[in-house]
Amino acid sequence: MAQWRSARQGADDTIRFSRTLLIMFMAISAVLIAADRSEDRVEAVTVFRAAFNDLSLPVLEAAAQPLRGLYNIGPWWRRQIELASEIRELRQEMAELRAWRDVALNYSEQMRRQQELLNLDPPMPRSRITAWAVTETGGPFVRTRLVGVGTEHGVAPGYPALNIYGVIGRTIDVGARSSRILLLTDLNSRVSVMADRSNARAMLIGDNTDFPRLDYLGRAPDIREGDRIVTSGDDNILPRGLPIGEAVLDRRGVWRVALYASATPIDLIWIWPFDPVAQPEDVGLPPLTGPAPVDTDGAQESGSGEAPVSSAVLEPENGGEGR
Amino acid sequence: MRASLERNSTWPVLTAIGLTLLLSLLAVAAPLRLPEGQGFPAPLFPLIALYIWSVRRPRFVPPWLIFLTGLLQDLLTGGPLGMWSISYLLAFAFARLRSSEPSAREFILLIARFAALTVIATLVAWIAGSLSIGQPADPTSLVTEAVITLVIFPAFCWLFARKRERTTFS
Repeated sequence: MAQWRSARQGADDTIRFSRTLLIMFMAISAVLIAADRSEDRVEAVTVFRAAFNDLSLPVLEAAAQPLRGLYNIGPWWRRQIELASEIRELRQEMAELRAWRDVALNYSEQMRRQQELLNLDPPMPRSRITAWAVTETGGPFVRTRLVGVGTEHGVAPGYPALNIYGVIGRTIDVGARSSRILLLTDLNSRVSVMADRSNARAMLIGDNTDFPRLDYLGRAPDIREGDRIVTSGDDNILPRGLPIGEAVLDRRGVWRVALYASATPIDLIWIWPFDPVAQPEDVGLPPLTGPAPVDTDGAQESGSGEAPVSSAVLEPENGGEGR
Repeated sequence: MRASLERNSTWPVLTAIGLTLLLSLLAVAAPLRLPEGQGFPAPLFPLIALYIWSVRRPRFVPPWLIFLTGLLQDLLTGGPLGMWSISYLLAFAFARLRSSEPSAREFILLIARFAALTVIATLVAWIAGSLSIGQPADPTSLVTEAVITLVIFPAFCWLFARKRERTTFS
């Protein structure tokens, strides 16, 4: 009986691994890999990923709660002891900072007045969008974070994301209720930066290490170790002056940046709405003011030099309407 | 009696497979927010779950399930789409190429086969991932994942894969 049963079990568990299906699914996987290449990602894949993130985020968040609790028991107790001394230090620091706040307020007022005088229109920050960053993949291929805010909360692709110390990256896939943030350390991240001290420009290039590389520095870059690196705004992707990190020279003599944002876990972050400077063609050309073009036919007939001018003036207006 | 139980056990088995795979995927992708703040290489729980089920109930682990598991892992972890699905499919294809399925009694053989499976899956994932990003990726994180997976696997194998031995031969 036992023999029969085991034989039957064996028959029941016969491996039915269809070779055709296997090859078919492998082919589908290969197509997906090709469609999801970071260089030329298919639009549909981006949309699909954003929609999937919207759906999966609540489930992931719920699933993380018990696991997070388990992982954090030990650190929680350690943290309590650390917090006591931290509070003491913070109180002292706060007392010192009060004096600095007055100085800052004073300077801020002065700067506002000077900007008014110079007729400068700097991009003022709108209200920041606060979010919890989730999904720490830690994989070798992508360095991204998922946040539970999307277009419904005013997020759009390309907005910079910061934690309390500095920039962590910028939004890429934006769904209705979730967005993916491309970290500065990701291989695809390129941000135009400068040294705060010397205004020396460089490009901050992520290479999937914790210290992104500074490139395109020029022949004799005026950069020193410990220089504060901030966004330069030249790329029209991120606003100017956001804190990034400190310049460090690695063992091979390559300039890299120790990110300020790495000082703390990337959990609570702010997304800063920022509209890059639009190209004139995109915003539409302003209506032309001046004398209305007079009877063009008449001008041509008269053969005066005004005719080409009036037609040249009319051209861009027609072109603008065509767009 | 037992035979009829075996016959009627399709839905419970399907449910169990679905739940374990879902849990394993969540364990890989769940945002743990570790105090160190660094990405922590999670073990390949989905691969462990797929392998153990393929030992216990091979007919319930068809290619589409392997594909779906890999695809969901890619989507949940934000990795290149299709990377884990092709890795798991190729690894299992290799495992099935070998003529004899190891019996659950052969504990060492089960572990050895899983080790081969993990190595293939990791290698394929590295190749697929590198192709996706257009340059060779740093393999440290993947190798760490594979090593952690191999370290914890015997415990899972002892807990779950051995059960088949009891149901079949007792």
